[in-house]
Amino acid sequence: MSLKLELLTPELSLLIFALLVILLDLGIKQKKVLAGVSILGLLVSGGFVLTLWGRESASAFNGMFLVDPFALFFKLLFLIAAGLVILASQDYVSKFARFQGEYYALILISAIGMMLLATTGELISIYIALELSSISLYILTGFLKDPKSSEAGLKYLLLGAVASATLLYGMALVFGLTGKTRLTEIAQAIQTIPLTTLLDSPALLLGIILLACGFGFKIACVPFQMWVPDVYEGAPTPITAYLSVASKAAGFAVIARFFYTTFGVPDWLSLNWGILFASLSAITMTLGNVIAIAQTNIKRMLGYSSIAQAGYLMVGLAAVGVASMADTLGRSGLLFFLASYTLTNLGAFIAIIAISNKIDSDLIDDYTGMGSRAPLLALGLTLCLISLIGLPPTAGLIAKIYIFNAGVHYGLLWLVVIGVINSCISAYYYLGVVKVMWLGAPVSEEKVPSSWALRIVLALTCLGVLVLGIIPGKFVQIAETAVRIFTS
Amino acid sequence: MPHQVPWLIWLSPMFSFIIISLILRPFFNHHPKLSGYTTIAAIGISCFLSFWVLIEVLKAPGHRLEIPDIQWVVIEDGISIHLGLIVDALTAVMLIVVSVVSLLIQIYSQGYMHGDPGYPRYYAFMSLFTGFMLGLVMADNLVFLFLFWEGVGLCSYLLIGFWFHRPAAANAAKKAFIVTRLGDFGFLAAILFLFYHTGTFDIERLHSLAIAGTLAGTTLTWAALGIFSGAAGKSAQFPLHTWLPDAMEGPTPVSALIHAATMVAAGVFLVARFFPLFEHSKVALTIVAVIGAFTAIFAASMGLVMNDIKRVVAYSTISQLGYMMLGLGVSGVAVGIFHLFNHAFFKALLFLGAGSVNHATGTFDIREMGGLRRVMPWTYITFIIAALSLAGIYPLSGFWSKDEILIYSFKTQPFLFTLALITVFMTAFYIFRVVFVVFGGEYRGTKLAHHSEHKLHESPAVMVIPMVILAFFSAVSGWLNLTGNFGEFLGHGEARGLLEGFFGILGKPLPWLSLIVAGLGIYLAYAMYSTRRISPEAVGRTFVPLYTTLSRKYWFDELYERIFVGKTLVNGLFVGLEAFDTYAVDGSVNGIADKTIATGRALSRVQTGQLQLYGLFIAMGIVAITICFYFFG
Amino acid sequence: MLTDYGYVGLFLIIAILFAVSMPLLPLTLSLLGLVPKKPNPIKTSTYECGVETIGKTWVQFNFRYYFYALLFVVFDILIVFLFPWATKLKQLGAGAFVAVLAFLLILMVGYIYAWMKRVLEWK
Repeated sequence: MSLKLELLTPELSLLIFALLVILLDLGIKQKKVLAGVSILGLLVSGGFVLTLWGRESASAFNGMFLVDPFALFFKLLFLIAAGLVILASQDYVSKFARFQGEYYALILISAIGMMLLATTGELISIYIALELSSISLYILTGFLKDPKSSEAGLKYLLLGAVASATLLYGMALVFGLTGKTRLTEIAQAIQTIPLTTLLDSPALLLGIILLACGFGFKIACVPFQMWVPDVYEGAPTPITAYLSVASKAAGFAVIARFFYTTFGVPDWLSLNWGILFASLSAITMTLGNVIAIAQTNIKRMLGYSSIAQAGYLMVGLAAVGVASMADTLGRSGLLFFLASYTLTNLGAFIAIIAISNKIDSDLIDDYTGMGSRAPLLALGLTLCLISLIGLPPTAGLIAKIYIFNAGVHYGLLWLVVIGVINSCISAYYYLGVVKVMWLGAPVSEEKVPSSWALRIVLALTCLGVLVLGIIPGKFVQIAETAVRIFTS
Repeated sequence: MPHQVPWLIWLSPMFSFIIISLILRPFFNHHPKLSGYTTIAAIGISCFLSFWVLIEVLKAPGHRLEIPDIQWVVIEDGISIHLGLIVDALTAVMLIVVSVVSLLIQIYSQGYMHGDPGYPRYYAFMSLFTGFMLGLVMADNLVFLFLFWEGVGLCSYLLIGFWFHRPAAANAAKKAFIVTRLGDFGFLAAILFLFYHTGTFDIERLHSLAIAGTLAGTTLTWAALGIFSGAAGKSAQFPLHTWLPDAMEGPTPVSALIHAATMVAAGVFLVARFFPLFEHSKVALTIVAVIGAFTAIFAASMGLVMNDIKRVVAYSTISQLGYMMLGLGVSGVAVGIFHLFNHAFFKALLFLGAGSVNHATGTFDIREMGGLRRVMPWTYITFIIAALSLAGIYPLSGFWSKDEILIYSFKTQPFLFTLALITVFMTAFYIFRVVFVVFGGEYRGTKLAHHSEHKLHESPAVMVIPMVILAFFSAVSGWLNLTGNFGEFLGHGEARGLLEGFFGILGKPLPWLSLIVAGLGIYLAYAMYSTRRISPEAVGRTFVPLYTTLSRKYWFDELYERIFVGKTLVNGLFVGLEAFDTYAVDGSVNGIADKTIATGRALSRVQTGQLQLYGLFIAMGIVAITICFYFFG
Repeated sequence: MLTDYGYVGLFLIIAILFAVSMPLLPLTLSLLGLVPKKPNPIKTSTYECGVETIGKTWVQFNFRYYFYALLFVVFDILIVFLFPWATKLKQLGAGAFVAVLAFLLILMVGYIYAWMKRVLEWK
């Protein structure tokens, strides 16, 4: 057995850097260095990902560890998200009295967990990767150690445990029925079972539902969204950003791979989970948007907004399910939407970090007149909110067109109509913030300063949002390449 | 001509918007003038390029240019989105109207908006609006058309509410946004409906489908009516007219540009753009004509009694837009657009005149004015020219286009012709009522604008010069069609000799009829408001119910208020959800977090909190999903 | 398939019956008066493995117990992994050696971390 270590280089290098951060933290006084080391680690790991890009798909550890464009796409996405979050955390972290090194190390470790999640094709390693990323995030959520943060961390942990249990029940049922843990083998085992047996036995369907529920917690779809507002509000804002993009993307990565490879055949099965996600999607986006309208706290509002966005993303999943083996369209819509959503939501959170840090409030009312107090931050936030609505010239528009097109293509017109109506509803609360910022009279004339690091990160994300929105051609291609593995 | 030229026409004001909002406003806020110059330069470029495009289009065979598409998004065997432009005669005419009027108004605004704290914001929005509007007239597919369409609506909202600290302005902005949105809903439905039936968003493809007869029958009619509902919202046609008079709360140059010359005309443009669709549906075309004629007389009647100079002009705009719709409905693109073209100049001029008067007196109430012909000669003369043009007096521009509409409606719909003729009378009356009350007699004002406490004065040259230029256009723009050229350019109309066109029209009875009717209107206004031979008060007393009905605008505002009382229902829903959030979701956080003293106690606190509820929800969710799938899956 | 579930169901019913009847039995007996009621202090005291109870039940343990316990579990598992590897060291070859080395390295970082953070001292 050869180890094929080169396939593991992104994760291994990132792990080495995470350990390095922990060790350096013990001896070093100047904690800024640690952020630098973390960024370096992410860059090195990203470099390794790029060297693997474009190669033949390969696997290591008897098919537990798959390196294909799909996994690499997500690895890059997580690395970018982690990098931006670390850069955006600078101001935040420098206020901590202790545990600055741990903060960076935990972000890196959870990134490793997510990368593994996107890259594994086997039940047990999926579970371990999920826990690796989740446990790091539980700690990070409670990092502030103030009552709200601790409460958030604990709630996340306990509900996360419930979700893990659900997931394990699902895995157990699937394993019990097929006797395999590798996804491809499970798929083969299911195909050998005659359809009538499948129709008679509710065990597989129950397994699928439990799996969807377990993963549903990760992507925060209804009815597993209860933790989102509390956790988002309580967690340190950069971590909230991280949770809302990277963690969610990881959830979608694993769902897409798991359900597509395992339950893609027979059509009857695929259709079933397609409909499951379609109905959850409709409920999720509606509930998220409607409750978001009533919010007065911007972090909470973005929490509900991210629930709604998960709903849009699930349109892509549903399309994959309903389409069964047809082609790559639904999934590539999913990837593009995730990339666009990652940049956009990160941008919005970075702007909020910058503003809230200085005015010491997360209330939307306190953002009044931000357009004149902090024009650049307000502009960045405005752009990101516009992208979240899905208006031109931003990435959000293309992403929505793309994913809704997939929905229409596979006969989910009703879902797309609900999605479009929801987009209109969402414009109300997103534009409410924009209106308050630009048209409201400032509470005080005092300018809101921001550090260069934050400005640069915000500029980068906004640039990304615009580039994806204005010249999406290249990225659409990448997203399409990334899902081609499934079709071959 | 390079292919980038048409793109640059609408991108140039967009860049101006970006420069102002990203660079000038944050960093050079103490030099507000810069933003004005940027805008004027950008729109100047658009204006120049528009003329270039016009010349190219005139030369081109079939009066249209092929601009290669730009591939924007191509998704494998799914959608591919191309960005393309239509550059044909209709576009060229609209480009000229929008860019010329916009340029002149930007120059005028330098005087009017002088010293306003929102000066850069004003110019930023004006640039943005001009960019959207120029894009709108060139868009070659429904998606982009709709985006630009919503874009101009957004700018209109922002600019009506420009002085958002005034509640009236904020409310007017909201009203305009909501009422036009009602129409847009129909438009959007039509777009989706068309896409559903034809699978294309491409406008020219839809044209060819309509012409070939593939797209026909009730499908076509419904689609055309949907498009018309969008047009009616934007062009303030009955019954969606209520927002336009209120929109006068915005700065006057905004009213001149957006709510007189360009955006409100976009509805007319839209019908013209989709004319092949309307042409093949007799029902839709008749509805356009009927609504247009009815709006014309309906709005004119309300204009008779308004005391706010801008509102008179606003009702006049609605009425004239109705004329254009009538023109489209009874004959075709050329006639309607010709009136749009002429109207843009004289109506913008009327608004600028109103703005100039307001600049001097500080009010829009005509009862507070009077005798201004002596102190404001330039404003007076230009206003008279515009008023005569509006009233349709030979040989000013309004005469030519209005007459065409009358002639065609006489030929096809005699009843609508009667309505239109009465409107001619009303139009002449209300606009000259304004002229006589504002410029004739003695000054009756009690308050003066804060910045002219010493004396009434003429507006500065930067305001007067654009008005003079517009007055020139208002006088002569109608002559473009003397030889039938304009009509022929838009694919409609016969060639005539120059002099035959100019004088020959006087040899026909119908123009004389309309001239006499308009003359009567002017004379009645003269008798009532200048010589006072007929007492307007006495007239008002004699027809009390009528007067009240008109001045209360047929109670349409009240009616719509009633309808929107239904929104309490909607509000009720939100209150319910908010309560759910406050008590079920938020309550737990506050209830727990605020009372927590020691961090280490969080565990015990959380366990007595609502976490079980969350867990319960998860469990119930799983069970519910399972049950659903077991029974329905 | 269904009969399998039937067995499970039967088993479930018996289990529930057993669980309910066991606590009910002494209660019923005492209600019927078959059991004499003679309490004394030793009889009513809390049963705790035969050792006499001292103080309250709700006491806080020193959190260092947890540190120790965690570290113990970690290194315990390390050994569990090391034994099978050590027995087959030669057959598994260099790859496995490197893998185990990496595994040890990661744990070693954790150990150093704990050491430097003074987790191993009992104060």
